[in-house]
Amino acid sequence: MKFSYNWIREYVPALDTPARQLERLITIRTAECEGIEETGGLLARACTAHVVSVEPIPGSHNVKAIVETGVYGRKVVVCGAPNCRPGMFAAYVPIGKKAIGGVESDGMLASGAELGVNRDDAGILELAGPVGAPLANCTPDSIIEIDNKSITHRPDLWGHYGMAREVAAILRQPLRDPVQPSLIPAGPASIPSPINVDIQDLDLCPRYSALVFDNVTVQPSPLWLQYRLTAIGLNPINNIVDMTNFIMSELSQPMHAFDRDLLRGDTIFIRRAHEGEYFLALNEQDYTLGPSNLVIADAQGAVALAGVIGGMDSAIVAGTSKIVLESACFNAAGVRRTSSALKLRTDASMRFEKSQDPANTVRGLARAVELLQELSPGLRLVGGLADQRKPIPPPPPILLPMAWLVRKLGKEVSPDEVRDILERLAFGVSQHTPGTFSVTVPSWRATKDVSVKDDLVEEVGRMIGYDSIEPKPPAILTTVPPANEERAFHRRVRAAFADQGFTEVYNYSFVAEADARAFGMQPADHVTVANPIAPNQSLLRMSLLPELRANVLENSKRFDTFRIFEIGREIHKQPQGLPREIPHLAAALYSKDGDGAAGLFELKRAAECLMPGAETRPTAARPYEHPARAAEIHWHGALVGRLFELHPSLGEGGTAMLDLDLTLVQAAAPKEKRYTPFRRYPSSAFDLSVVAGERELVGDLRGKLAALAGPLLQSIDYQRQYAGPPLAEGTKSVSFRLTVGSLDRTLSSEEVSEIRARLIDGMRAQGYDLRL
Amino acid sequence: MLEQQLSDLESAALARIQDARSPQDLELVRIEVLGRKGSLTLVGKDMGKLPPEDRARIGKLLNRAKQELESASESRQRQFDAEALEIRLRAEWLDLTLPAPGPQMGHLHPITQIQSEIEDLFVSLGFAVLDGPEVEDEYHNFDALNIPADHPARDMQDTFWLSDGNLLRTHTSPVQVRGMERLGPPLRMIAPGRAFRNENVDASHEHTFYQLEGMMIDRDVSVAHLIYFMKTLLSAIFRREVTVRLRPGYFPFVEPGFELDIQCLICGGPGCPVCKQSGWVELLPCGLVNPNVLRMSGIDPEEWNGFAFGLGLTRLAMMRYAIDDIRLLQGGDLRFLQQF
Repeated sequence: MKFSYNWIREYVPALDTPARQLERLITIRTAECEGIEETGGLLARACTAHVVSVEPIPGSHNVKAIVETGVYGRKVVVCGAPNCRPGMFAAYVPIGKKAIGGVESDGMLASGAELGVNRDDAGILELAGPVGAPLANCTPDSIIEIDNKSITHRPDLWGHYGMAREVAAILRQPLRDPVQPSLIPAGPASIPSPINVDIQDLDLCPRYSALVFDNVTVQPSPLWLQYRLTAIGLNPINNIVDMTNFIMSELSQPMHAFDRDLLRGDTIFIRRAHEGEYFLALNEQDYTLGPSNLVIADAQGAVALAGVIGGMDSAIVAGTSKIVLESACFNAAGVRRTSSALKLRTDASMRFEKSQDPANTVRGLARAVELLQELSPGLRLVGGLADQRKPIPPPPPILLPMAWLVRKLGKEVSPDEVRDILERLAFGVSQHTPGTFSVTVPSWRATKDVSVKDDLVEEVGRMIGYDSIEPKPPAILTTVPPANEERAFHRRVRAAFADQGFTEVYNYSFVAEADARAFGMQPADHVTVANPIAPNQSLLRMSLLPELRANVLENSKRFDTFRIFEIGREIHKQPQGLPREIPHLAAALYSKDGDGAAGLFELKRAAECLMPGAETRPTAARPYEHPARAAEIHWHGALVGRLFELHPSLGEGGTAMLDLDLTLVQAAAPKEKRYTPFRRYPSSAFDLSVVAGERELVGDLRGKLAALAGPLLQSIDYQRQYAGPPLAEGTKSVSFRLTVGSLDRTLSSEEVSEIRARLIDGMRAQGYDLRL
Repeated sequence: MLEQQLSDLESAALARIQDARSPQDLELVRIEVLGRKGSLTLVGKDMGKLPPEDRARIGKLLNRAKQELESASESRQRQFDAEALEIRLRAEWLDLTLPAPGPQMGHLHPITQIQSEIEDLFVSLGFAVLDGPEVEDEYHNFDALNIPADHPARDMQDTFWLSDGNLLRTHTSPVQVRGMERLGPPLRMIAPGRAFRNENVDASHEHTFYQLEGMMIDRDVSVAHLIYFMKTLLSAIFRREVTVRLRPGYFPFVEPGFELDIQCLICGGPGCPVCKQSGWVELLPCGLVNPNVLRMSGIDPEEWNGFAFGLGLTRLAMMRYAIDDIRLLQGGDLRFLQQF
């Protein structure tokens, strides 16, 4: 929302704080300013000039004009505007001498757009004279831009008068109300209006007020009005529309003018739209409405979308002579629903959805009466005010105990100061009981913004200045916070992988359909985003692998070997309620050269650092896994994840991948550590070499030996394997070192030999040859 | 006569020991002189033939000669050992400028690093670290935070809606609500994590970002406490004394609500391009918890109150590490990640 400094000063006449300083004060006390823009700079020196003569410049579309400026004397200017002609009055700006097409131009004749008073750049601005006069009520201005988010809760700050009230309160200066309520005709008996108002849903429209005018002349607005609107980013259209926009920007009261002669019947209905009702809006779009949309209707149908936009069929046009001026209040949620459903946000809807003040409608009309007298001379008000409203009881006063307020702020504030601050902001303050004020809320703050005493803490706090509050340490109990085991565990996992050389990546929670499919998942099984930012980000990831693979592909363009991992959540659809979010670790080791085996073993080692004693069991590969290089990882009896090489069709070079369900890993991790005394009796060790088929798993052989060895086995360690002569083709020899011993004695050599013999016989019985 | 023979034997042997060129040479001499059939040993064997009055004297001489020669031989052996060691050590020259084999240390993501640091800071101040779901229901993300349907504040947070009616949390604030529901007052908690906004990605906007929500509920919590806490915390985070200021900010779940600014760390106040000449940098939203929010989570606002704040971890990481493009954080590019 843009605010004009000059406009604010109309209501705070004593305002002399420079705009930059005012901007800072508003930021600290009221709402966030996003910056200041200077506008109308040329107006400082512009004056009305009479064009005395015009002569063409050969070979140019420009003309050479002699102008009489009064203040600056007679000047020669070069002008390119098609409307530059002798006898006219134009705006002259002494910007210095400049040669244009061989002719020296001393200053310029300016267009409305160049001056900043409107957006017209088709020709130079035409004025009425007299020569030498400055442009009436058009002076350089500073436009303060306020962040809309910071006034979401303040319906009153969507107009200059509301902001002026803040400024007056901040600077302790008087505030002038532009509204003269007496301009609304009233008498002992109410004067009937020529138009009837029939609100059919008082919740959606708590108030609808209207006035009827005739003898209207639709014409361009005076320059000052065009300038005000242009300066804050609105487009001047004609005097009637500009007047409604002006009052909206002044009082935060959106208004709408209908051409009376285009309304059918004498009654304005405010009702829910019929199912399928057609409406052609002022923006030349047509809409099909339904009962969730509130419309303004005449006897035939919708003429405006309540609080959002007017209709084309009853719009003010050049020949309009009789108007109905609407000033209403619509329910915030209702307007918001309609505006978001139709994707139609307007200056009006933006204001109504902040919960406007129903008391403001008639104020807006009173202001209109005053303005229209100037903007459309000869116009007449027909009859009195049409006004229907929902009875809204005034909100109960808020009890504000001073001691409570002081405790909340953490700073001593005197009751006098509190009263002064609140009264400057138009709250009513009276003593309720000793130490407690009774505070009444002004209507424009009562719609949503202020309803409980906590809201008053803010009013007092911001006006005394939060910077005046000394920081104080809180007096709270010393407690040890409850531990977050899961987070602590994830930290250990991160540290373990970083220690092993893996670099952490963060990926999005979204996955593309094609990527999900490549990893064997069906799009339909995913939780899906209803309004994705891009079509390939519509699924919530059920696996970290697809994106990790993308990381691998991307980085493999630059690195021959690297290690990455991510800890993130898999999101799994549930039959009802929230999805299950399962923390996973996914790691990848890419190596451009080599056969991929080293990478897999390095990744296996990393997994074992995290899970000492974990078992890697070869298993049937999934489609995205190398068919002969896929395994399950088991730890303490639980299947916790998979280790595999990425299927070559999904990426060149060897990519080893690990995927662990961290919930399962954490659950399987031993909770306690306990010291075991050293063995007191020496152990004995011997080696055995088993000849087996070349694809027989070392892990299986080891398991068989372990099973045969019996309870005295202490450890069994793989030593090496060998294939080649003199072994038969297709076989290999695998050597293990076995250590046996007892906790309570030294084994005799006979016992050791017996174990060894048992192993040899047992393996032979299973068909294995042993190399002794 | 025998004395003379002994003495000659000894000097000859000593000379040979000194002249030995190698440990093998030396061993040869040792065997020839001191071995079982060595010349000196043989002298000893002839002792019995001596008259008894000479025996003791010659025996003494013999022993002394033996000791002399043994000691000379050992000392020569030590020389050989020392030389051999010297040669070995010289041969074991190693170029330690060669790179160490094995992978280099990996890198933790910058957000992880900054988040861990801040978590530790809060834990040291008695705050629990809580987690909540990234897929949230509308109630916890909005309604329970005093943002009912059709509230214009919902516009402040462009939301990713899911087809099942749930949503991707737009902030970590719902964890506040879950924390209050689960733990009740008094409560000190933070909730770091991932949040989502439906907006287009460019150098300074991301649809996925990281926040750290914090809340303290106790019997008597004031604006003065909030300022104290934020100042203490931010000084720890930025590792220097920071000056903070509060100004009004609107967030439906707090009342009063603030934007907290810190005095620009680059220029220290007078104004520079980083702070857009204002001297202040907007850092985080905070406020006293709105009584409606407490009530909705079953906490009596007449008895308890508190403050809440939301720290942008993404923004903080970008500030600390001078990262100028937010997309790098989720880009998975090792050229970026390996710098941390």
